[in-house]
Amino acid sequence: MEATPPMEAGTIDARTIDAKTPTPATTKPLLAVRDLSIDFYTATKVVHAVRGVSFDVAAGERVGLVGESGSGKTTTALALMRMIKPPGIVTGGLAQLGDIDLLALHGRQIREARLRHVSYVPQGAMNALNPVLRIGEQILDGVADHGVRLTRAEQKTLVATVLESVGLPQAIALRYPHQLSGGMKQRACIAIAIALNPSLIIADEPTSALDVITQRQVMKTLTSVQERMGCGLILIGHDMGLMAQVADRMIVMQDGLIAEDAPVRRLFRQPAHSYSRMLIDSVPSLGERRQPAAAAVAADETGAAAETPLLAFDAVGKTFGGGLLGGPPKVALAPCSFLLESAAPRIVAVVGQSGSGKTTMARMILGFETPTTGSVRYRGRDLAHLPPDAARQFRREVQAVFQDPYGSFNPFYKVDRTLAQPLVSFGLARGRKAIYARMEEACAAVGLKAGEILGRFPHELSGGQRQRLMVARALLLKPRLIVADEPVSMVDASLRMSILANMQDLRTKHGISVVYITHDLATAYHVADYVLVLHEGHLVEAGPPEEVIEHPAHPYTRSLVGAIPWPDPDRRWSELDPDLRASWSAPPVIRGAITGFHLRAAGKLDIRAGNPYPQPENSPVFRGRNKNCSRRHAKTGRSTNAYD
Amino acid sequence: MPLRLIVRRLVMVLAVVWAAGTINFFIPRIAPKNPIAEKLTQMAGTSGVDPTKIKEMAEAFNVKFGLDKPLWQQYLTYLHDVFTLDFGQSITQYPVRVSTLIGGAMPWTIGLMATTTLIAFLLGTLLGAAAAWRRDSRILQVLSPLMMVFSAIPFYLIGLVLIYFFAAKLGWFPLSGGYGIISIPDWSWEFAVEVLYHSILPALSIIIASIGTWAIGMRGMMVTVEGEDYMTFAEAKGLRPGRLFLRYGMRNAVLPQITALALYFGQIVTGAVLVEIVFAYPGVGTLLLDSIKLYDFPTIYGIVFILTLTVALSMLVVDLIYPLLDPRVRVEA
Amino acid sequence: MTDRVVQIAEEADWGSLHGKLLACGRYLIRNPSLILGLALLLALALFTLLGRLMLDVKLAAPLSAPPAQPPGPGLPLGSDPQGRNLMAVMIEGTWLTIRTGVIAGGLGVIVGSAIGFISAYLGGFTDRAITWCVDVLLTVPAILFLVMISAVVQTGLTSIGMALIVAALAWRRPARQVRSQMLVMRSSGYVDMAKLSGLGPLRIIFFEIAPNLLPFLVSSFVTAVAAAILASVGLEAMGLGPQNEPTLGMTIFWIMEFSAFLRGLWWWILPPVGILIVLFVGLYLVNAGLDELANPRLRRRA
Repeated sequence: MEATPPMEAGTIDARTIDAKTPTPATTKPLLAVRDLSIDFYTATKVVHAVRGVSFDVAAGERVGLVGESGSGKTTTALALMRMIKPPGIVTGGLAQLGDIDLLALHGRQIREARLRHVSYVPQGAMNALNPVLRIGEQILDGVADHGVRLTRAEQKTLVATVLESVGLPQAIALRYPHQLSGGMKQRACIAIAIALNPSLIIADEPTSALDVITQRQVMKTLTSVQERMGCGLILIGHDMGLMAQVADRMIVMQDGLIAEDAPVRRLFRQPAHSYSRMLIDSVPSLGERRQPAAAAVAADETGAAAETPLLAFDAVGKTFGGGLLGGPPKVALAPCSFLLESAAPRIVAVVGQSGSGKTTMARMILGFETPTTGSVRYRGRDLAHLPPDAARQFRREVQAVFQDPYGSFNPFYKVDRTLAQPLVSFGLARGRKAIYARMEEACAAVGLKAGEILGRFPHELSGGQRQRLMVARALLLKPRLIVADEPVSMVDASLRMSILANMQDLRTKHGISVVYITHDLATAYHVADYVLVLHEGHLVEAGPPEEVIEHPAHPYTRSLVGAIPWPDPDRRWSELDPDLRASWSAPPVIRGAITGFHLRAAGKLDIRAGNPYPQPENSPVFRGRNKNCSRRHAKTGRSTNAYD
Repeated sequence: MPLRLIVRRLVMVLAVVWAAGTINFFIPRIAPKNPIAEKLTQMAGTSGVDPTKIKEMAEAFNVKFGLDKPLWQQYLTYLHDVFTLDFGQSITQYPVRVSTLIGGAMPWTIGLMATTTLIAFLLGTLLGAAAAWRRDSRILQVLSPLMMVFSAIPFYLIGLVLIYFFAAKLGWFPLSGGYGIISIPDWSWEFAVEVLYHSILPALSIIIASIGTWAIGMRGMMVTVEGEDYMTFAEAKGLRPGRLFLRYGMRNAVLPQITALALYFGQIVTGAVLVEIVFAYPGVGTLLLDSIKLYDFPTIYGIVFILTLTVALSMLVVDLIYPLLDPRVRVEA
Repeated sequence: MTDRVVQIAEEADWGSLHGKLLACGRYLIRNPSLILGLALLLALALFTLLGRLMLDVKLAAPLSAPPAQPPGPGLPLGSDPQGRNLMAVMIEGTWLTIRTGVIAGGLGVIVGSAIGFISAYLGGFTDRAITWCVDVLLTVPAILFLVMISAVVQTGLTSIGMALIVAALAWRRPARQVRSQMLVMRSSGYVDMAKLSGLGPLRIIFFEIAPNLLPFLVSSFVTAVAAAILASVGLEAMGLGPQNEPTLGMTIFWIMEFSAFLRGLWWWILPPVGILIVLFVGLYLVNAGLDELANPRLRRRA
């Protein structure tokens, strides 16, 4: 795949619409929203959640409604569905859809307009279907409640038709939701939403709980259905990348106002509003890595660095369950080996979707889980049998930043305690004054004002502040290695980049190595020196980010990279959807090497011999599933990619 | 229903029965004195009882409990008896077997408990669901907290209040008993009406006190369910309010209620026993009270055991029914 | 354009005393069951404490007044057929009943938390075994076993002995609750963070987990007290209580034993029933209030 591919098919109608750039007045739009205002009442104040919002949606148009949490985007959509609940109240405005004003409906008319005229595809596909009803029943009950009387045979045909149009087999109608995967559930939701051919579909972050590969499939389904029906689509979301992939026009909302309303290309090329620009800049895009990678070296050079590695995975694997009552065992991480030296700090990204074993790997590095096979070695010694003083040193030298910046703080104490605790228990500072001086210093290092942070309880800080404070806490200990487990997945987009910048500072300014655990290839591309891709517990691809992400070699990585929603309307998902699923279990592809971090697929590392890279013995079966393809594939420094 | 689950539940029931039996066995033996021997001596001391009969009883009990044999052998014999529901003979109504006494009282108790539990469960669940659903309804918003407060009060205290007002003051209902003093139990229509009439106040006290328990649980669950994504989606589908309430809301919210039902059986039995005592209703509770007063230990053991067994079996029945209501628990391919 | 947020009432600011009072006041208005429950319990406490100062509780013994007198001068609540001064019985009975509940509930929570705690801490087979035993015991209707125990030890039972008997089964629920709370907290982010900060297991338990367990234990205690009172009064109503002490449950037993309804002795029936109802409702409301305090979801939806 090229870094800057030519414009691909499937963006044609987007271009035509762009070319027209319709002004609302010229053609009669499908939906015309005028001066929509919504207030929320609390005990002490009124929040004007949406303040006089006006926009149009043309038939067949895909409009992206973006903004961060609290911007009023979901509230706007709910108002169109007439689903604003007290203490919220629509204080004024007009929403003309065809001949009806959605906001003027009352009583039964509201219910009847839903599904027939406006459909809603909900957030959280995992939980949007009634768990005790079959899919078929959930398609038909909405139809029946709109007064459509159907015979048995007609019902069957209808269910089969709508399921087929979202690419699901007819047999799904008899299944219960818990028997479907996340992607299938969300497609079933789309099937339900289109049963009565509505003229407008509102999709509220329809792929928020799905991995990128499934996200791509679901979005493809949604847009193809919408194109076929010719209806309007309002796509609500916060992911600029996804919007660039899907939307024709974008409406950027901020604080209940429309900041910008523009065709998607113009918005991405010349954002008029500073907030739009900020949102666009907060998403990493391809081809402009923000930092130079550490120099790649040939394999034989690494032999010279003969110091004892800081941390080594020696054929470490983890299996959960099994035993007498535990049910069938589940491989969380198949045996893998690597070593990390402390002399050259590196950022190593471990990328995988949920269930890939990346968090298990992180917890084993931290010593929170013990491996089922192999051993984790800290400065040459098995982590499981460290003498007390070495254990203390390990604790100080290997630190972590976790995903949930709220859960990482004990709600009972002020945040000061979380910062001071490690200083006290490792004896790094004595006396209140010294401790506070160190804490203030650490706050400053991550761009926080100590005066605004210290002395507060965790719930009084914002998510971004809390997460930066966790980075500051880790810094206080002057560790050698920080494990960062999805550090930005729970903070708002605008803060992501600054926290990631904090992480890069860890390496460049403080000389700390980072193991960056993430599901997001795009951020890994920007911050990491080396990337490992895990899939269902197995390493599938490893190499420098330019290699792995710009030229993915393994079928799974190719699926993954192909599904990244790059924030660039000219780099849309390829129309072709090569289903590589069957070959995802192919042997791993390992390319390139860097100083400071050495990877081997499996087998033992002979650390004492001083040579971390002994010739791999005939590979112990690396992937349990492919017993037959044990071949020598993991030779360092050379590409053994079978798919080139 | 997964076989593993059924097996686990059966093991649980057996364990409960075994635990109940074992506690029953050891409590009197840990006690400083032998309650049965004491009771017999006491009876011998009072006039009017034939000394030969007492001797006969003492021997019968010695054989029954094998008091001459080693403890482990006594225990095994005891467990065998318990699993065959043989509790020996009553002391006070010798030589009537305990199982006969309990068998006579059990239908009254089961009838009262089963009906009231069912009614209270249905009414309470509906009330709770409606209170969560219609937050604008004045009546519901007053009625449901009231019912919830009632749920804090033990059944028998409500029974006492009801007796005071409706039996003693107003005289609408009989003060006590399961049927009229002069009636002879038979299968006639008149007797059935009489039984029904006598059971109204006891039943009412159980129902009033337990509706709230179910209403609290259901209201909480319903509020949770209303926050679920599938309710939002269902509303966006434009479903009729009735369908939304029944098939989406209640249908899901009621599932934990069913589980709660199984856990509440113990409390219901306890409560019902005391209600029977307050109303002198001819069920197991009143039999228990009489046995306590007269130190009829074989009967006390028997009742405790049978009621425990009833609770365990009811829980088993609920556990077996549950998968029919929740597709997620049904057997997976 | 208007401002996004418009203040319509004064914001409570934790910084000042005034703000604290305002915040507390607003909270209590949103959580009336807590106030009402506390008020009811306080009223009962005042009744029994002040009553003991004003009236000799020895009058609660039989033959201290003419039998079966309706309320009148000197006998504010009348007397029962055995000549107990019923006012004294109520004062002393309330005291004894609450004391039984607090002792039994307290013991239950202490022992139960210890068991739940050990179970969660050790994990593995021990944990599964303990949990299973607790589950089996939870199925057993408690009061029936208490009937067995008290029937055997009946003679010479005091209200303290009663409390101990009730405590014998009061630990089951706290054990289970504490265990599940421990498990939740053990896997929480801040415990991981504390490990990274070099804290040992004991310090994690006492300084990280225990403070967060505290509000939960308070609510567990209130539930346990209510359950213990329920059990003890139930046992006493069956005649299995301390025969020589005027507890509320024993009074209920005597009422039924002496056919108070048939004899129309309403002044004997209503006070104990009323006091017990106030006690149970008070405990229930406090517990509901605490629940609301602890569970943010209920709070938000209230």
